[in-house]
Amino acid sequence: MAAGERVAVVGASGAGKSTLLNVLNGAVTPAAGQVRVLGRDPTALRGRELRRLRARTGTVHQHLELTGALRVVHNVNAGRLGSWPASRAAWSLLRPQDPGTVRDALGRVGLADRMYERTDRLSGGQRQRVALARLLVQQPDLVLADEPASALDPALADLALGLLGDLATGRGGALLACLHDPALALRHCDRVVGLAAGRVVLDAPARSLTVVELERFYGVTR
Amino acid sequence: MTTVLDRAAPPAARLHRDRRRWAWALAGVVLVGWALAGSGLFSGPVLNPAGAGQAGRFLSAALRPELDGGFLRVVAGSTLVTLAYAVLGAGLAVLLGALAAVPVSRTAWGGRRTGWLLTRGVLALPRGLHEAVWGLLLVNVLGLDPWVGVLAIAAPYGAITAKVFADLLDEVPRGSYDALLAAGAGRGTAALYGLLPAASGGLLSYSFYRLECAVRSAVVLGLIGAGGLGYQLALSFTSLRWEQVWTTVYALALLCLLADVGGRAVRRRVAAPRRTGYRRDPLPAGAVLAVVAGVGWALWYLALSPAALVSARTREQLAYLGSAAWPPAVDGELLGDVWSTALDALRMSVLAIAFAAAGAVALAALAARPHGPAGPVRRTAGALTRLALLLLRAVPPPVWALVLLFVLLPGVLPGALALGVYTLGVLGRLVGEAVEEADRRPAEALRAMGSSPVGRWLYGSAPALAGPVLALSLYRWEVAIRDTVLVGLLGAGGIGVLLSARTSAFDWPAVTTVLAAIVLLTFLVDLVSDRARAALR
Repeated sequence: MAAGERVAVVGASGAGKSTLLNVLNGAVTPAAGQVRVLGRDPTALRGRELRRLRARTGTVHQHLELTGALRVVHNVNAGRLGSWPASRAAWSLLRPQDPGTVRDALGRVGLADRMYERTDRLSGGQRQRVALARLLVQQPDLVLADEPASALDPALADLALGLLGDLATGRGGALLACLHDPALALRHCDRVVGLAAGRVVLDAPARSLTVVELERFYGVTR
Repeated sequence: MTTVLDRAAPPAARLHRDRRRWAWALAGVVLVGWALAGSGLFSGPVLNPAGAGQAGRFLSAALRPELDGGFLRVVAGSTLVTLAYAVLGAGLAVLLGALAAVPVSRTAWGGRRTGWLLTRGVLALPRGLHEAVWGLLLVNVLGLDPWVGVLAIAAPYGAITAKVFADLLDEVPRGSYDALLAAGAGRGTAALYGLLPAASGGLLSYSFYRLECAVRSAVVLGLIGAGGLGYQLALSFTSLRWEQVWTTVYALALLCLLADVGGRAVRRRVAAPRRTGYRRDPLPAGAVLAVVAGVGWALWYLALSPAALVSARTREQLAYLGSAAWPPAVDGELLGDVWSTALDALRMSVLAIAFAAAGAVALAALAARPHGPAGPVRRTAGALTRLALLLLRAVPPPVWALVLLFVLLPGVLPGALALGVYTLGVLGRLVGEAVEEADRRPAEALRAMGSSPVGRWLYGSAPALAGPVLALSLYRWEVAIRDTVLVGLLGAGGIGVLLSARTSAFDWPAVTTVLAAIVLLTFLVDLVSDRARAALR
């Protein structure tokens, strides 16, 4: 992947999309082969170096990574745990640090008024947007997104992918998103990579593909 | 493109702190501070230097317990007596509980709240008194009869079992019950077909839990003279035969340990039965059969005769106690003693819980089984921690108190430590299990973002665990306030000391007052704990 590139990963369930993301953010160690993330090999790094690399990689899952018992502001601020010292992280739980940035990030996903609510009182779509706000605060260079729009209505899904794309490419980074909506993939990405049984079976520029072709790839027949 | 963002800006969010929670947190801190200040830790000596030599002899005897054949036979006999008390007491309690569950369930009363509240109120009395207190009272009515051990367990356990059974029946979804009623079935038949099958797993599981507890209670009852292992322990203790004491302690720890491990295994299988085809899971069914056979054996072994319950002597003694104990004593001196010892008991329970909760949280990460692969060091440390917690809860609190009284002067501290050590064993396991069951995804996501371990713990793990840990601690506080009476009966301090003194002086009017105070104290602690848990939800 090149800097400034937005790549959609498509494929049926179980094709290895989530595994690919987990290899990239270091949650899974590959059994064979080599990984290079932002020019470095995460499997070769330890301790502080590894944490620094991970702080530059932002992952957004299907809103399940949020801590339900915390207020929204803390879940968004958790995006900065990679750079905050422990003392500041602890103090922020009592007195939220830098609320201005959090409010801006929440404003961009349309949730500024929910800043101090408990996260588990929000709906699935709202929580997914909180996860996006966390990423906005983290400011990563590489954005990994696992079905970031699954719980959002079409308008919000467009907004979310637009934000992710801007976030990544605006700072010279890149976006890698697993998507199961072909139209979204073509609208927001420059390149589409298709996986089947853990192998790359499709790699093409987005503008050379049509929605119908992609739907066929998913196995949709009309 | 129009998005929701183009709407009018919503009002700015403001940080509202939950005042109720802050008030509870502050009250908790003040309570622990008050208990610490009154523990004597900062005002005068707490160590007993004279006991050091005796404690040394006691500890050195741990490695050479009495293994003489005659004594081992005595211990084996006592173990069987204790086991028989436990099986019969728990069996009777489950029987009583099942019978009483019907009149105390909401289902039976329908919309009539007053009747329901009244029956619940009747149960509060047997539940408010510790089984050791029941034992103490029953010894005075029945003399040294095996019924004392059985009834002392059955009375409080029967009441709590009735309450829990009724709650279980009330919590079952009502759809099929209502459908059966609508189809013209009687209420009894409808409950049998519509409620009981769905509740049976919970009822069975709770019955086994009661049996586990009954083993521990039966040991404890011996200490106040009801026979069995505890009685043997008390005899060896008073005659300063430390080698014999250790043999008995090992035997009772082993018994409690087996009850803990076996009961948990059965309960786990009841919750998730292993089925092959249409055959029942053999373990729970076999355990039920074994317990039923055990009841028959215990009846024979203890040679229980119902005649003892209705003999002329028993009736005479009961009539005498009834007339002597009423009206309760209300002289100023006694009330002053009741007040100060009740406060001591409260301090003890608060310190015990604070100690146990802090220890359980500190050990939680080690006590929880590691998720995924772990190094040999981590696995060994975890196994050792779990073993240590198992041993802490295998020895009942009064035995811990007896040991601690070697080196500490009587008062709040030895009682609090004895309860604290035991409760740490229980809470440590519960918190460890909560950690094992907690959702790991938030913490994993934070790791993937480069968070430090402290940050991961603060933002990913701790917030989800705080609620369960506080709720568990508050629940154990209710148990601990009851147990303060028990450690007090053995001289550690608190209101139990007063009860034991008044009972041995046959001062029955004062005993009535002290008992009323104990019931009131446990009731108040239950109430506060319940309110605090409601505020934390």
